[in-house]
Amino acid sequence: MIAVYFKGLMHTFPLFLKGLWVTILVSGVSLLAGTLLGVICGILRTVKKWGISKIMGFYADYMRGVPFLVHIFIIYFILPEVGIQLDPFPAATIALTIYAGAYISEIVAAGILSVPKGQWEAATAYGLNPFQRLRYVIFPQAIRVILPPLVGEYVLLVKDSSIVSVIGLTDVTRVGWLTVQRIPEGLMVFGLVGILYFVVCYPMIHLSHYLEEKVSYESH
Amino acid sequence: MIIFKNVNKWFGSLHVLKDINLHIHPGEVVVVCGPSGSGKSTLIRCINQLEPIQKGEIYVDGIQVNKRSTNLTKIRSEIGFVFQQFNLYPHLTVLENVVLSPIKVKKVPRKEAEENALRLLERVGIPDKANDYPSQLSGGQCQRVAIARGLAMNPKVMLFDEPTSALDPEMIKEVLDVMVELAQEGMTMIVVTHEMGFARQVADRVFFMDEGQIVESNTPDEFFDHPEHERTKEFLSKIITHN
Repeated sequence: MIAVYFKGLMHTFPLFLKGLWVTILVSGVSLLAGTLLGVICGILRTVKKWGISKIMGFYADYMRGVPFLVHIFIIYFILPEVGIQLDPFPAATIALTIYAGAYISEIVAAGILSVPKGQWEAATAYGLNPFQRLRYVIFPQAIRVILPPLVGEYVLLVKDSSIVSVIGLTDVTRVGWLTVQRIPEGLMVFGLVGILYFVVCYPMIHLSHYLEEKVSYESH
Repeated sequence: MIIFKNVNKWFGSLHVLKDINLHIHPGEVVVVCGPSGSGKSTLIRCINQLEPIQKGEIYVDGIQVNKRSTNLTKIRSEIGFVFQQFNLYPHLTVLENVVLSPIKVKKVPRKEAEENALRLLERVGIPDKANDYPSQLSGGQCQRVAIARGLAMNPKVMLFDEPTSALDPEMIKEVLDVMVELAQEGMTMIVVTHEMGFARQVADRVFFMDEGQIVESNTPDEFFDHPEHERTKEFLSKIITHN
């Protein structure tokens, strides 16, 4: 029996690869957009003027306080009530972007704040404008603190993207759900799903470890 | 060159500068001393507006710095500032530390900026460290790089905020030597320091600050030999016994 199931599973393997491609696509796009959003919000988080920092803080806290599953329901099922209809792919991408952006903004802000105050003062005293201070003095130092947890956040993003299957996006998790209905061998089917996620995430985990070590050894 | 008119500054409810009036002329070397918390660092940090002031006016070379319409970036690029903790950029080499602002702020071509930087490193006595990172240097060397970084902007005035306080004793002299030379070449300098030997040797005037006010201002000889105020006498007796 197992052999038959296994054969059937191999038969549907191209579907799994297609699903994996959707997973990579949705998390890849969200990763880029989320990083952009997170960097901008992270920088704004450090602006101690006009309550900007508070607004950014609330955004991050809101995302941390609401489960991602609920967050995606809000975007996919509740927004249409107010006239905003989204297809599963854009809905999933937007949800993941906003979600990852919040966490990334925390990482970026922590990185910027880790740079000693004297560096800001020196850059200021030597006539650099606010953009140049960030670009040439603060960011190159903050990036060492930012990179390891940032890559870690990317791993989380790939894994969290499995939740978008609930709104009907045929990612690799949903391919698993669909397959298990025909091949009732859950361990085998979701074992394969797990392996596929792992194949994507494992190199990223290693990259994160590598960056962590690199940062702690380099001391200039 | 630098004029303070009724300058007042508060940190919250703490009144750190009280009605400061002063006038520093081109080429003058002024040493500011006083007990910690007297406002001496704040005084010079107000000149390039690292600290904003709440009342009064500050002019640098005829331009009021504490005004919204003033181009602070331009004024700051004409004022060299040397910090107690050096504040070199740790991710850049010595040479890059020195050329960053000339290239980015003054738009000097890289080649010209680097040639000038190498000349300055020679002048402060560390031409061979150009490609090292700050973490590879001693404190005294770091501070000399910081001075070169200030000079690279071709400033009209150099401000020093306790430049030798973070140094090991055997490194103080190498930094002071550079500063003495600079003073003798006619640079306008305001130096917050307790190095009284330096003050005697090159200062034109010595200010004594206490509780946010300039209590006494005099030539070094008068200042050290015939201090007028009780607080000055008390302060001098403390640092002289210590030395």
